[in-house]
Amino acid sequence: MRPTRILAAAVIGALAVTATACSETKHKGGSDGNDATQSSGPKKKGGTVTIANTAGQTWTCNFNPFNPAVYNTSIGFVYEPLIYVNALKNQAETPMLAKSYKWNADKTQIDFTIRSGVKWNDGKPLTAKDVAFTFNLMKRVRSTDLYALWTTAGLRSATASGDQVTLKFDKAAQPYFYAFAHQVAIVPEHVFGTGAAAAHPDTWVDKKPVGTGPFEVNPCSPNNIQYTANPDYWQQGKPYIQKVEYPAYLDNGPANLDLANGKAQWGSQFIPGIKQFYLDKSPDNHTWSPPVLNVGIYPNLDPSHKMSSNLKVRRAISYAIDRDKVSKIGVGGQEPAANQSGIVTPTFDTYYDKAAVEKAGFDKPDPARAKKLLGELGYSPSKPLKLKIITITGYTDWDASLNVIKQNLKAVGIDLTVQDLAQQTMVGKLYTGDYDLAYYNQQTSGPTPYYELRQMLHSANTAPLGKNATSNYQRYKNPKVDQLLNDYASADETKQVEIVKQVAQYMIDDVPVIPVVEAVDWFQYNTKDIAGWPTEDNPYAQPAAYNFPDTGQVLTHLYSKSAQ
Amino acid sequence: MRFILRRLGFFLLTLWAALTLNFFIPRFMPGDPVDALVVRTRGRVSRDALEQMLTSFGFKPDQNVAVQYVDYLGHMFTGNWGRSIGQTLGEPVTKLIGGALPWTLGLVGITTVLAFVLGTLIGTVSGWRRGGALDAILPPIFVITSALPYFWVGLLLILVFSQGTGGWLPANFNYDTTIVPGFSPGFVGSVLSHAVLPAATLLITTIGGWILTMRNNMITTLAEDYVRMARAKGLGSRRIMYGYAARNAILPNLAGFAMSLGFVISGAILIEYVFNYPGIGYLLYNAVQNVDYPLMQALFMLFTVAVLVALLAVDIATVWLDPRARAKG
Repeated sequence: MRPTRILAAAVIGALAVTATACSETKHKGGSDGNDATQSSGPKKKGGTVTIANTAGQTWTCNFNPFNPAVYNTSIGFVYEPLIYVNALKNQAETPMLAKSYKWNADKTQIDFTIRSGVKWNDGKPLTAKDVAFTFNLMKRVRSTDLYALWTTAGLRSATASGDQVTLKFDKAAQPYFYAFAHQVAIVPEHVFGTGAAAAHPDTWVDKKPVGTGPFEVNPCSPNNIQYTANPDYWQQGKPYIQKVEYPAYLDNGPANLDLANGKAQWGSQFIPGIKQFYLDKSPDNHTWSPPVLNVGIYPNLDPSHKMSSNLKVRRAISYAIDRDKVSKIGVGGQEPAANQSGIVTPTFDTYYDKAAVEKAGFDKPDPARAKKLLGELGYSPSKPLKLKIITITGYTDWDASLNVIKQNLKAVGIDLTVQDLAQQTMVGKLYTGDYDLAYYNQQTSGPTPYYELRQMLHSANTAPLGKNATSNYQRYKNPKVDQLLNDYASADETKQVEIVKQVAQYMIDDVPVIPVVEAVDWFQYNTKDIAGWPTEDNPYAQPAAYNFPDTGQVLTHLYSKSAQ
Repeated sequence: MRFILRRLGFFLLTLWAALTLNFFIPRFMPGDPVDALVVRTRGRVSRDALEQMLTSFGFKPDQNVAVQYVDYLGHMFTGNWGRSIGQTLGEPVTKLIGGALPWTLGLVGITTVLAFVLGTLIGTVSGWRRGGALDAILPPIFVITSALPYFWVGLLLILVFSQGTGGWLPANFNYDTTIVPGFSPGFVGSVLSHAVLPAATLLITTIGGWILTMRNNMITTLAEDYVRMARAKGLGSRRIMYGYAARNAILPNLAGFAMSLGFVISGAILIEYVFNYPGIGYLLYNAVQNVDYPLMQALFMLFTVAVLVALLAVDIATVWLDPRARAKG
C-alpha cells in the first residue's frame, strides 16, 4: 500500500544501511519459491499466516462489506463473490458462489446458477434469494451501490427463481461483469434483511460477519484481527491454513521490519532497497510484484494550458524519457518500464502491439527526436522551455523517478520544476485541472487494459476546468476513442482485443498520457513454513493482500509445510 | 480569590476562541473528504456512492455554516462528536479517541512526568554542587541527547535493543498482538515491555531541557540574598537547597511543565509512528491526511482544553508556591 511513506523511507533507509553491514549470510533472492512439495493435491490442515500490510490505522472491527473503508479485511476472508476473475491470467474465471452463468446474445441479461450446498458460517444455507437480495439492497440504499450498477451500468432488475439469479440491464453490460460478479460480495438476507442492518446497511457495524468465505473473525481487537478457518467451508478440505493474523500496522517501517525478520509472511508494500533489506535476510524471503497499471505524466490538454496541450511538447517529453533508467534508479527496478501505448506488459501481452510502438519510435529513448521537436517550437538546452510538474510529497520513489526525468528533459531543452504537494492539495489540483503536468497513476485496474484506458481516455470521465474530473484528469476528448470504448461492451473477445489495440494507437498518436513506469501489486512472501503462494509461474490471483476478493484465492491455496 | 476568578474567565474566553478557530480552519484547508475517500478506495468505487456514504455518516457540506457552527459548539460540550468520515469510516469518534487516549496518556504522560522530576532533581543537585563530578558529566550529555531528533533515537534503540540483540525488546505495537487484551500477567508484562523503547526514546530526548534550565535557575537563585541569609542563619544545606533555592528556582519551569503536560495528549506523533504505537498522535495524523472533520475537531478540542487546563493549574500552583503572586491577587 502506498500511504504514509514519509517516515517509511527514513526508517528503512537508516535500518537498511546498518543492517546490511552486520548481516553475514548473503542469499540469492527471487521468485523461485516453488518447491517440490507444491502440488495440487489435498493438504493437511494447520499453520498460521501473518499479514504485514500497512493499514495506517487500528482496526475498527467492522466487517460490513458495503463500507469501503473495511472491505479488504472482509471480502475474500469472510464474504465471497459470484465468480472470481483473474486479471493476471487474461480474465481466467473461477466459479465461486455461482456455479455458472449465461449471457443473452446482446449481453443485456445474465443468468447465474447458484452453487448448492454452500452454507453461511451460522449454518443457514446460501440461496439464490440471498444473491438477488444483495443486488436489490444496492438499489434500495444508494450508498451501498459502490460500483454504480443501478445508475451507470444500467442494472434494471435482479430476480431469483429456483437456483437461478437473473440480472437485466438496459444496455450491454459485459464490462461491468468484473464489478458485479467479481467485486460485489454476497450477503445473507437473514442478517442484512432484519433490524438495524436492514435499516442502515451502509452504516451498520458488522462485528461478527456471517459469510460463506474460508475464514471467520475470531477475535478482533484494535491491534489485530485473527481469523480462524471456517470448518464448514464449501470447498472440501479447504482452507488448509487454520489461522490468519492481521496486525494493524500504522506505518510501513514496522511492517517491513516484521517482514524482514520473518515474523510476518505476507507483505504488500513498497520496501525501498528490497534486496539488502528483505531478500538478503533469508533464503525464504521472496518477492514477485506483477505490474497492473501505469504510473506516468498527466499533461493538461485544455487549450488554456498552452505548452502541455501542444502535441509536439508531449511527444518530445515521451521521446526524451529513459524509462529503463527511471525504473532502475527511481524505483530500484521494482516497477518495470512502461511504454507509450499504455498497455501494461507482460501482464496484458495479448493486447500489446509492439510493432506500433516501434513504428512510432517510442520503443527506446530518442533524445535527438525530442530536441528536434522542441527546436521547431524555438526551444533548446540553452533556451529551455520551463515546465512545472506536481507530485505528492512523501512519495520518495516518485521524487527519485522525477529526478531522472528532470535530467532526461534538461538534455533536450525542457527545464522541469517539481512541486511536491500534500496529497490532498495535489489530488485537488489534479481533479479540477489546475496544473500543467502531474505525476500520478490511475488507482484501479481491471482484468484487461480496457479498464485503465477507459478511465484515462473516455470523455465521460472528464469535466471542464474547475470541476472535478473522475479519472480523465488531463481532459482528453476524442469522439473516435469514445466510440471504440463504447463498442467494447457488446464485442466478442477477439474484437475486444482489436479495440484495445486501436485505442492504444491513439495513446501513441495523441500522447494524452505519458506512461513512465508500471505500478505493481506489491507482494513479498516467506516460504519457511508456508507454501502455495501465487508466483510468476502460477499467477492464480493478484498477490497483494489489499486486493479483494483475491485474498480469498490466496488463502485457500496456502498450506503449512510443517503440518504435512 | 479574584485572581482565580479572573483566570477562569480568561480560560473560558480562550476556549471559545480556540473552538471557533478549530471549526473554521479545517474548512479552509485544501482537500475534501470525498476526494480523500476516492483516493483511498483506489478509485474503484463510484464517487456518487461515496458521497452518499459520507452523508449517511453525518457529512453535511451543503448545510448553512452558521447552523453547522452552532451545532458544532453544542456537540463539543455534550460529547456528541459524531462518526469518523476518514480512514475509519463510520467509527464513532469517541470510541476512536477512547481507544487511543489511554495509550498516549500512559506512555507519554508517565514519561513526561518522569523526565520533569528526574531532570529537575539532577538539575538541582548539579546546580548546587556546581563544578562537581555530577555537574561535569550529566548536563553536557543530556544537553546533547536532547538535541537529537526523536525518530533517530528511536531507530537507534530499535537497532540496538531489538534488531541487534535478536529481539530482546519489541520494536512495535503497544502489546503482543497475539494476546487478547485483559488483566492477565502476560498482557501487563507485554504492555510494559512494549513501552520500554518508546519511553526510553522520549526520556532521552526530553530530560536534557529540564536539567539545563533547572541547573541554571539554581545557580541564579543561589546568588540571591535570601540564600545567603539562610546560610548565615546556619541552616542545614539540605534545607537551603530544597526549601530556599530549589523552591524558587522551579517557578519558571512550572509553566513549561504545564505546557508539556498539555501537549501529552497530542502525543509524540513521530514516536508513535516509529514504534507503531497506536496512540493519539497517529490518530491526529490520519485525521488530517484524510480530511476527517469530526475526528480532527474532537482531537483539536481535546488538545486545546488540555493545554488550557494545564495552564490554569499552573497558575493556581504558582499562587500556592509563590507568596508574591498571592499578595498581588
